[in-house]
Amino acid sequence: MEIFALFDCIISPACLLSQATGGLKIGMLLFLVASGLTLVFGVLGVINFAHGALYMLGAYFSWQVMTLTGHFGLSVILGSLGVGIFGLLFERTLISRIYNAELLVQILLCYSVVLILDDLVMIIWGDEFLSSVGVPEVFQVPPLFIFDAIIPPFHLAIIGMSFIVGIILWFIMTKTRFGRLVRAAAVNPKMLEALGININFIRAGVFMLGSFLAGLGGALAASVGSVVSGMGNSIIIESFIVTVIGGMGSISGAFLASLIIGMARSFGAVAMPLFTDGLMFLIMVLVLVIRPQGLMGNKKK
Amino acid sequence: MNLLKKDNFQRDVFLGLLVWFMLIIFYYILPDPGIHDIIQKVFILGLFAMSLNILIGYLGLIAFGHAAFFASGAYTLGLFLQSDFVLNLAGFSIPVAIVLAVLVSSILATLIGVICIRLKDIYFSFLTLAFQMLIYSIILALVNITGGDQGLMGGFPKPPFLGIDLGKPFDFYAFTIFISIITIVLLRQLIESPFGYGLRMIRDNSERPAALGFNNQKHKLIAFIIAGSIAGLAGSLQALLDVGAYPEWAFWSKSAEPLFMILLGGMHSFLGPLMGALIFEILNDFVTANTRYYGLVLGLVILCFVLGLKKGLLDWLLIKLNRK
Amino acid sequence: MLKIDKLSKSFGGILATDNVSLELKPNSINALIGPNGAGKTTLFNLITGKIDIDEGQIFIDNTNITNLKESEITHLGIARAFQITNIFSTLSVQDSIKVALLAKQHGLNNMWNRFKAHSINKEAESIAKLSGLTKSYNTISSALSHGDQKLLDIALALALKPKVLLLDEPTAGMGPEERWKMIDRIQKLWKKTKMTVLFIEHDMDIVFDIAQNIYVLQQGAIIAEGTPKEIKSNKKVIKAYLGGGKK
Repeated sequence: MEIFALFDCIISPACLLSQATGGLKIGMLLFLVASGLTLVFGVLGVINFAHGALYMLGAYFSWQVMTLTGHFGLSVILGSLGVGIFGLLFERTLISRIYNAELLVQILLCYSVVLILDDLVMIIWGDEFLSSVGVPEVFQVPPLFIFDAIIPPFHLAIIGMSFIVGIILWFIMTKTRFGRLVRAAAVNPKMLEALGININFIRAGVFMLGSFLAGLGGALAASVGSVVSGMGNSIIIESFIVTVIGGMGSISGAFLASLIIGMARSFGAVAMPLFTDGLMFLIMVLVLVIRPQGLMGNKKK
Repeated sequence: MNLLKKDNFQRDVFLGLLVWFMLIIFYYILPDPGIHDIIQKVFILGLFAMSLNILIGYLGLIAFGHAAFFASGAYTLGLFLQSDFVLNLAGFSIPVAIVLAVLVSSILATLIGVICIRLKDIYFSFLTLAFQMLIYSIILALVNITGGDQGLMGGFPKPPFLGIDLGKPFDFYAFTIFISIITIVLLRQLIESPFGYGLRMIRDNSERPAALGFNNQKHKLIAFIIAGSIAGLAGSLQALLDVGAYPEWAFWSKSAEPLFMILLGGMHSFLGPLMGALIFEILNDFVTANTRYYGLVLGLVILCFVLGLKKGLLDWLLIKLNRK
Repeated sequence: MLKIDKLSKSFGGILATDNVSLELKPNSINALIGPNGAGKTTLFNLITGKIDIDEGQIFIDNTNITNLKESEITHLGIARAFQITNIFSTLSVQDSIKVALLAKQHGLNNMWNRFKAHSINKEAESIAKLSGLTKSYNTISSALSHGDQKLLDIALALALKPKVLLLDEPTAGMGPEERWKMIDRIQKLWKKTKMTVLFIEHDMDIVFDIAQNIYVLQQGAIIAEGTPKEIKSNKKVIKAYLGGGKK
């Protein structure tokens, strides 16, 4: 462990700022994906192990649109919308059968879908790495130098975009009728049925929204990194970490936890480059031991 | 034939040895190394799955970090056999290495178990997962000792002991199956003992036992340690087979494998997970011989079991047989 | 036998148990009655150590059991059956009673014997007989009728050989005929075992029929106690029951 390296970084504005921006970028991308996971868990009570596979699908979809049209914005939008629609089909055909099933059944069903999708994308797109769709032209400008810190403008754009999505999500959940119904469905699904509201509609909508968020994360990830089968297998674990730390079902908790994990990864890479992942799991263990319901979660009976 | 009538420990030992003999005869009848390999792997993975089923099937705890103990057993055995102790111990190094692997896994299971069993349901699952991934990260970080993401490099010696040379295929086959069968017989004793019924009691109702003057937590911890130790044994056998140990054995997807086996074979019959391991291995062998897309086939098979049969094959067969 | 001294408990500022004192005589059968929400089950939870006590003390046979753990209190001779049946759904009646017997004796730590062949079988049989479960001895608990599940719940408590047996609405959810069967069974086993029994019951006919002593709980406090005769003519009780709207 290189504590001095961390110390040196913290007292240097350049290093501090560039690591903080890096952490923010990692955290915000993670938030996009994890917020979908925690939303689905909070409302449907399903641990969607296939959430990472949906993220992967988002990356492939947007890569495909980009290759066909060359339009970045279109690739992100169509890519994530495509995953949303895929999620809807997934929910209607499979997930809807396991709402009241045991945890083990849920895990196994979702994991079987992961296995299938990982191979399907290989069959369709080949098993080679696909190079990233690349940063759109607008952002292909020299990086910003702030206090000597090198900050790629596109990273700022990703952070900004994720923020906006977070705010929209918050708005949907707290200010709209759909959001109120969703929150009611999470607490008391029977009550909604008694009010004559179709619970299946709410569930499908939430799952679609969750899938869309995973797809959006994947589509954005495809612009900065390569696309490959199995790329969802580490993001799903990170999303679980965020979900657990933030409190399962809590979107604001997921936001906070994403920031914590983003920073831990970014600064952890300076302090203990070989143990950056370990650091995340250590935080997860500590939270589960000290406060199992998570930072923002409600204590369940 | 009186021995076979009573369901007791002696009968199980007898049956276990009988199966062992039959498998040895089978070795000579069918001299196909591929099949021998499948059989020994079925036992190794079967042990792994059966150990997990103590927690899942009998205690109702969905542990999702069981591969941590598989890996700790494998790495302990590998590191020990790579060390200089082997020079001094020579003929005893393999038995000592296996005992050590089980011991280290049991200690690890104690440390992790004490913390995990306080949590319930999904929180328990997540904590076991977190610990396993923490161990995975530690294995990757300690490059000098574990070889990091390359795994234990350079192999290790397998000095013969008591006339058994694990370098020879037959010796390895007979030894691995023998150890596995003995463990399975002991495990059955455990499951059919009052202790085993204590597990079922907690699974059925975790509240009532306190009103019966009973301490759930202690019982759960002991079960967790035993499960971890057997997983460590399975890991050490796997390391002996592959003459190495790999960090993927501590990755979360390795914990999903025994879950598949439990699902395929059945969690409510004692030998269900072993049967699951058999299905898993045959499927693996058959599919990988014919297509590169193993995950696709495995995924579809699991989907059929989850949504179609809704229980493991052995569970299903036993229910069918009982009805008749 | 069981002595409760000035027991109080509040949840979030609301008194659920208000300065309750009572003393059960050895080998007596007592009823605890009161409207819904009077705090009857809470009192049971306090006695058995399932929830912590705010104030007051509890003694069994002059041993102070205040704030001991649930399992410790069980070992000192208090057992309870639950309002909502609290049994082991996949175990048979026989196996359920056996685990209950072994749980108390630390017998479940045993790994070297076979459970099925355990010498405790005779004892389990006698408890099943006492509880009227001989016929369904080998039935899986979840397949039992509601009444038999209630009986099994009581049998699990009996397996502890308690000095004091607390029964939380043993006749809940039963039809009139089944009800009287259950009460008959309870009376029989009380006579046989010479335990001290305290039961919660809503049906006044039953209470007046079998209880020697009745405690009336309202809003956490005991407002009356006495023999059935005394209670029948108690003005407070009449007011609480007739004025309270329930029954």
